[in-house]
Amino acid sequence: MYDLLTNLLGNQIVAYVIAASLPLIFVLTFVLFAVLAERKVSAHMQDRLGPMRVGWHGIIQTLADMLKLLQKEDIVPEGADKTLFNLAPLLTFLGTYAAFAAIPFAGIYVGSSTAIGIYYVTAVSGLVVAGLLLAGWASDNKYSLYGAMRTAAQIVSYEIPTAIAILTMVMVSGTLSLMKISDMQTAHFWNWWILGGPETGIVKFLLIPFMIITFLIYYISSLAEVNRTPFDLPEAESELVSGYHTEYSGMKFAFFFLAEYANMFAVSAIAVTLFLGGFHSPIGYLGHSLGIDWLVPVEQFFWFTFKGTALVFVQMWLRWTLPRVRVDQLMVICWKYLIPYAVVNLIIVGIITLL
Amino acid sequence: MKKYLKNTWDALWTIFIGMKVTWKHLFIPSVTIQYPDEHRPIPDRARNRLYVNIDDCIGCMQCQRACPVDCIDIKTVKALPTDELGLTSKGTKKALWVTQFNIDFAKCMYCQLCVFPCPTECITMTKVFEFSEYEREKLLYNFSNLTLSEVKEKEENYAKFMEKKAAEKAAAAAAKAKAAAEAKAKQEAEKKDNDNKPSSEEKDS
Amino acid sequence: MELYDIIFYLVALMVVVSAAIVVGSKNIVRAAYSLLFTFLGVAGIYILLGADFIGVTQLMVYVGGILILLLFGIMLTNKVYSVDIRRENAYIIPSIVIVGIFAAFLIFVMTETNWVTADPTFPNTTVFELGKTLLVHYSIIFEILAIVLLIALIGAATLARNDNKER
Ligand code: SF4
Ligand code: SF4
Repeated sequence: MYDLLTNLLGNQIVAYVIAASLPLIFVLTFVLFAVLAERKVSAHMQDRLGPMRVGWHGIIQTLADMLKLLQKEDIVPEGADKTLFNLAPLLTFLGTYAAFAAIPFAGIYVGSSTAIGIYYVTAVSGLVVAGLLLAGWASDNKYSLYGAMRTAAQIVSYEIPTAIAILTMVMVSGTLSLMKISDMQTAHFWNWWILGGPETGIVKFLLIPFMIITFLIYYISSLAEVNRTPFDLPEAESELVSGYHTEYSGMKFAFFFLAEYANMFAVSAIAVTLFLGGFHSPIGYLGHSLGIDWLVPVEQFFWFTFKGTALVFVQMWLRWTLPRVRVDQLMVICWKYLIPYAVVNLIIVGIITLL
Repeated sequence: MKKYLKNTWDALWTIFIGMKVTWKHLFIPSVTIQYPDEHRPIPDRARNRLYVNIDDCIGCMQCQRACPVDCIDIKTVKALPTDELGLTSKGTKKALWVTQFNIDFAKCMYCQLCVFPCPTECITMTKVFEFSEYEREKLLYNFSNLTLSEVKEKEENYAKFMEKKAAEKAAAAAAKAKAAAEAKAKQEAEKKDNDNKPSSEEKDS
Repeated sequence: MELYDIIFYLVALMVVVSAAIVVGSKNIVRAAYSLLFTFLGVAGIYILLGADFIGVTQLMVYVGGILILLLFGIMLTNKVYSVDIRRENAYIIPSIVIVGIFAAFLIFVMTETNWVTADPTFPNTTVFELGKTLLVHYSIIFEILAIVLLIALIGAATLARNDNKER
């Protein structure tokens, strides 16, 4: 990506800036539609219609909301630590956006095809926790602080099953590079890791159930990491107003919103890359069969966003299906169920790959 | 251990069932009515904005008296005998010009009490309920169909008529009084005569 | 490599400034957040040196782990963040002397050492070599460290346990 841009533009700095801002364009458009989709999905699941006024079936409702948020007064609470209060939304978004640097959207569209992509993505998500804790503390509001504490406890706990699930995948694929993991699952959907990956013979069939378990573990704990229902205790409206962003208004609130939805896509993108074939098409490329070269990256991008959005849709679907869990249940799910399963699963998968 | 595995399975299975339910609901047509575009049917006897068919109103003020919040304000002017006001649809003869028929919907509480006493059934409930305004004055509806100049004319006419009548009456009264006075005078004179007679007679005697 | 230098100096500036804030700040939470930027900067320097795995590990361990626990501790502790933690006039002269000696020593070492200049081409991936080193050459030390960590964990859990019988 970066090399291509350097060749194209002949200037390193411009290439860096463009390479760094391309995912932002994607994130912004994604969030615009994801917020609308969330409202639409929730509405239709409750036999309502959702936003219908702005544009056809409310299609540009989010844009209107953005304009509204832009005009809002920027309120900083009196007791708040102003610098940190202003820093928090930026830090949160930074943590989320940094993950996009390593996510391969298509064969040529990846911020940095670093060799330790998945490790990097896991690491930078720690910044989000720091941002959220900061938001809660700087607001000088007990609800914010409670929300922030819950977020931190929850994310730190659920990072463990996530990390073990990712470790399982790293073990079977033998690489940390997201690009290489994607390329292993090329060609057809039976090469996806969730269906045993490019292994052959008996190993493939032995792997399938454990890969599905790994996927479930990853998906459930990633839900907790992005604070989605049923793990949305940090922003539990009924108890905490809205958790760590209670005191935020206007554009800063929008930043949290943006970070939340971007994060939803980021974890889905990782799930897609690890388990569902990454950006590769499940049925082969039209571009290859027609002999049109430029069509292939477009198709790859389409498949990646399609799969990612499908997983985001499942997140929404779960959100409007399940009630919120209690705090003790949250910890029980993590420490008593997910982690033991993840560890046992890791060991079994290790034995299978040795076969 | 068995319970542990069963818990896990139950969790996953119940989540799956729940998701099946929401998935079905995703495709059920929604029950939302897009209000300003679509309306729910209004019940036949719903009480909404009033309407006065002023052609039928005989200005009897029954409605004004019935209204518990005094939001109807009617003024009438009597018609001249020469005026032809026509009949109401029920055939009652109209005898009053309704120069003002104000209903203040900011005050009205839509109790429908004004509707029942109307002898000509000209004040009725409609189905219009969306008539909010930014200014309260705009909620003051005038149902009278007479223009201001007409009202003035009627009032003047009536005043003139009354004057004339008063004048006539006065004249008549005057005439009557004159006649009476004359009659009285005559009587008195006669009486005087009669009185005088005895007195004179007395004097005489 | 012009761009490389610019980025290096930016990152180094970030490290120095934020470290100064860590030391000088009155507010303990601000100090902790400056530490976050110090860690980020150090990770950046590691990555600029071609040690991407170490850099990300720095992020993972220090930012994702230690810093969060630090903040957690600060925020859960009652009133600790409103306490003035700076001691302005304690031992100024001895500290200046010690810092001076230490700085002189460091500068001496830096200027006098014959630095081995590394191969300027960065290895494409460090993970493989690192894994081999850790798990083949130094596998015993690696395992012993793991056991030490486990012992620490068990010890912490035992200490934190609320055993009603003993009380
Ligand atoms: S509906 Fe009731 S309140 Fe309204 S004008 Fe008639 S009598 Fe008065
Ligand atoms: S009761 Fe009917 S006829 Fe009488 S004044 Fe009212 S509206 Fe007119």
